[in-house]
Amino acid sequence: MNSNTQKIVGGSLLLAALIALPHFLKFHHQDLLIFLTINVLAVSSYRIVTLTGEWSLIHAVMMGVGGYTAALLFKYYEVGMWVTLPMAGILTAAVAALLCFPLFRTTQFYFLIGSFAAGEAIRLIWIQFVFPFGGTGGLSGVEPPMVGEIDFMESIPYYYLALSVVLLCLFILYLIENSRIGLTLHAVHWKAALAESVGVDTWRYRSLAFVIGSFFVGIAGALKVHYLGTITPNQFGVGFMVFILIWVIVGGYNKFYGPILGAVVLTLFDESIRGFAEVRPAIYGAVLILSILFLPLGLESIPSKFKAWSGIGKERDPLSLTDK
Amino acid sequence: MELIFQSLINGLIQGGFFALFAVGLVLIFGVMGVVNFAHGELVMVGAYTVWLLHAQHGLSYFFAIGVAVVLVTLIGLFMERFLFRPTQNDPLAGLICSIGMLFILQVVATLVGGEGPSKQVPPPFHGTWVLFEYLRIPYQRIFSLLISFFALSTLWYFLTRSKLGWALRAVSLDKEASALQGININRISMIAIGIGASLAGLAGALMAPLTNINPHMGHNVIITAFIVTIVGGVGSLSGAVLAAFLYALFHTFVTVYFGGTIATICGLVLMVVVLIVKPTGIMGTRISE
Amino acid sequence: MPVLEIKNVSKQFGGLMALNNISFQVETGEIRGLIGPNGAGKSTMFKNIAGFYATTKGEIVYQGQNISGHKPHAIAEMGIVRTFQETTLFQELTVFENVLVGCHIQARSNLFSAIFKLDKPRQNIARDQVLEVLEFMGLSERQEQLASELPLGSQRALAMSIALASKPKLMLMDEPFAGMNPEETLHMMELTRKVQESGMTIILVEHDMKAVMGLCDYLTVLNFGQLLAEGTPAEIRNNDKVIEAYLGGSK
Ligand SMILES: Nc1ncnc2c1ncn2[C@@H]1O[C@H](COP(=O)(O)OP(=O)(O)OP(=O)(O)O)[C@@H](O)[C@H]1O
Ligand SMILES: [Mg+2]
Repeated sequence: MNSNTQKIVGGSLLLAALIALPHFLKFHHQDLLIFLTINVLAVSSYRIVTLTGEWSLIHAVMMGVGGYTAALLFKYYEVGMWVTLPMAGILTAAVAALLCFPLFRTTQFYFLIGSFAAGEAIRLIWIQFVFPFGGTGGLSGVEPPMVGEIDFMESIPYYYLALSVVLLCLFILYLIENSRIGLTLHAVHWKAALAESVGVDTWRYRSLAFVIGSFFVGIAGALKVHYLGTITPNQFGVGFMVFILIWVIVGGYNKFYGPILGAVVLTLFDESIRGFAEVRPAIYGAVLILSILFLPLGLESIPSKFKAWSGIGKERDPLSLTDK
Repeated sequence: MELIFQSLINGLIQGGFFALFAVGLVLIFGVMGVVNFAHGELVMVGAYTVWLLHAQHGLSYFFAIGVAVVLVTLIGLFMERFLFRPTQNDPLAGLICSIGMLFILQVVATLVGGEGPSKQVPPPFHGTWVLFEYLRIPYQRIFSLLISFFALSTLWYFLTRSKLGWALRAVSLDKEASALQGININRISMIAIGIGASLAGLAGALMAPLTNINPHMGHNVIITAFIVTIVGGVGSLSGAVLAAFLYALFHTFVTVYFGGTIATICGLVLMVVVLIVKPTGIMGTRISE
Repeated sequence: MPVLEIKNVSKQFGGLMALNNISFQVETGEIRGLIGPNGAGKSTMFKNIAGFYATTKGEIVYQGQNISGHKPHAIAEMGIVRTFQETTLFQELTVFENVLVGCHIQARSNLFSAIFKLDKPRQNIARDQVLEVLEFMGLSERQEQLASELPLGSQRALAMSIALASKPKLMLMDEPFAGMNPEETLHMMELTRKVQESGMTIILVEHDMKAVMGLCDYLTVLNFGQLLAEGTPAEIRNNDKVIEAYLGGSK
């Protein structure tokens, strides 16, 4: 009861801060805030895919699938963002569902490579087929909506729009993770054979996690393209995939908020090394290596490590299923 | 007709390159269980070394090749000691470390070579061997092909005839049993990555005069290597070599008639199909539960 | 009426015939012992029945239906659950959560009801059922502990709890008493008998001959992938071929 009130108070404070935040920022930083908001959805949706223990390398491309869906619908069918947003999610999920048939016949290393190959194939298709995808140059002129007086082309309104969509998505992801389905995904991860012996169709649950993750990252892709206005195949290449990996790993993938923490902290870090544009990838590479070597459970694990060290509480992934 | 012959030869030469780096990837995966995502960057470093020493500073091509091989081998050994060994219980961690390494190597290459267009290395061998009217092969390509064959046969001889090679294969079959037999796994890992990296460096050095050199050239290399290793059967060296030549021929011909992007898409789709139909690849065997 | 019929089943690994043309039947409600020296093919038989291995030849008929070639989860859904020879648990989950996963067949929910919590009644039933199983197996006190923190004997009991939670009709138990002290074994034998009395059929692989002879109604003996003998415990105890296999076999 007490902890519930705490949660509500904390949540409201956080929400208030998020709402107030853009008014204290310069334009450039408002921009950044919007991308960060979108990237938070990208990493959180990736987390649900990894819950089953399978690390895919196609997540960035799936975000692109969502982005291209939105861009194509907008350009060729002239439908607005209110339609393209859900459609991006649905279509990305559909593509993911098709990919499940080949990809989830494999696991682990084979899945990793298979997902990478499938992603590259999709990206090359965008490059190859200038109609409708626009080739290497991609598509441009995708606009956000206009509602009465509010022009979402402006940063602050768009930020509020993206924030509400992302928060809603995060809430749903959180509910899924803490439901029976979440427990089963964990079970598939830790001991697939045992799960199967009590009737869990592991193929279905791996696929389910992948489709759900793709749905939400598809929405993230649509949010991105409507703000940026343009979309190109290279936005969703290995480079971006690696960023997702870095955010998730540096933040810590054992808890729901770990990847979000990673995205936020590293975006701030990224801002601080803006001056060293040329060597930025190398700095990222070093951060990735160092965190794997010295903080394999991510930033998220620091408080519990500290607690364990000072003897306050035990390190443990809280996996409570339903509210007791 | 001319086109077909010429493509055949080009495919064969490409196959040599593909085999050189794919074999290394397979060896590293087989012995250490990690996917070296930076393998393409090792090739890139090899090519950059030749560009820097030979094309920029006028040093001898052979000397440049030698330096490239040694340098890339050292990088490989560094990765084994400081990235893969500490993470050996978690193959995913090793893979992610190699991704980190990939970025570092790319940035180093950019710093060394500067931004700007791709670099070229003028071919050190001039002239063309005219076999008959339809078939002319530049000496440069013949040289590359011969060296690739030579390196691959040496590797094959080493793996099948020497005691160390035998130990290496034993480790890739069953790590625990080999450790019980008294084989020093860390030493074998060093040797595996040493061989894998040196072959990657050699491939880069040989490719340098025949390709565009830039910090991102490793991307296509790693994609090719993945296709080849999966199609050939992960863990099977002979499968990788066979798949390298088959895929190179396939890629060359499809490129001639439909363009390079389509060729790569076909390759990737082929790889996914192999994963579905026969996850063990054309030559691989794996007892699965 | 036989609940399970093994008809001419063979399983080959490369050149090795791990099971060679085996046939036997298991009656509804019995405790059947499946014994034999190390490497006889007992675990392989279980994995074939439970769908973890594809049989090379032959048919496995369960309640009149040929189930060979079915996926493990589909077979589990039909009411056959196996336990593992090596202790196999969700080490990272608590005891309670382990057993909760075991209730998958009754308690699973779809995405929609999971998000909107429409499956709450079903989840509550599942939780009650978990508590019941834990109570029965004597693990109630440990329900909040991580599975990896349990002593070995309790780990084996937990493995059995997970299987029980799925409410099977036929349970394949692979060396359930391995790693237990004599006291624990006696207790577990009693529980096993109780499970049988509730109407479940059990096939038991176990090296502890005292336990096997004490529990089983009927025994099937394998040796080097062959069916060596069948009979009541008393018959098997005095069977020359069986005695020879155990004495001469590699132990
Ligand atoms: N996946 C596999 N691949 C190859 N051979 C196998 C495999 N599984 C089992 N075998 C072989 O099949 C034979 C039977 O093994 P199985 O595990 O069924 O024996 P078991 O009767 O359960 O023995 P134990 O009492 O030691 O558990 C053994 O010779 C074993 O080596
Ligand atoms: Mg066994």
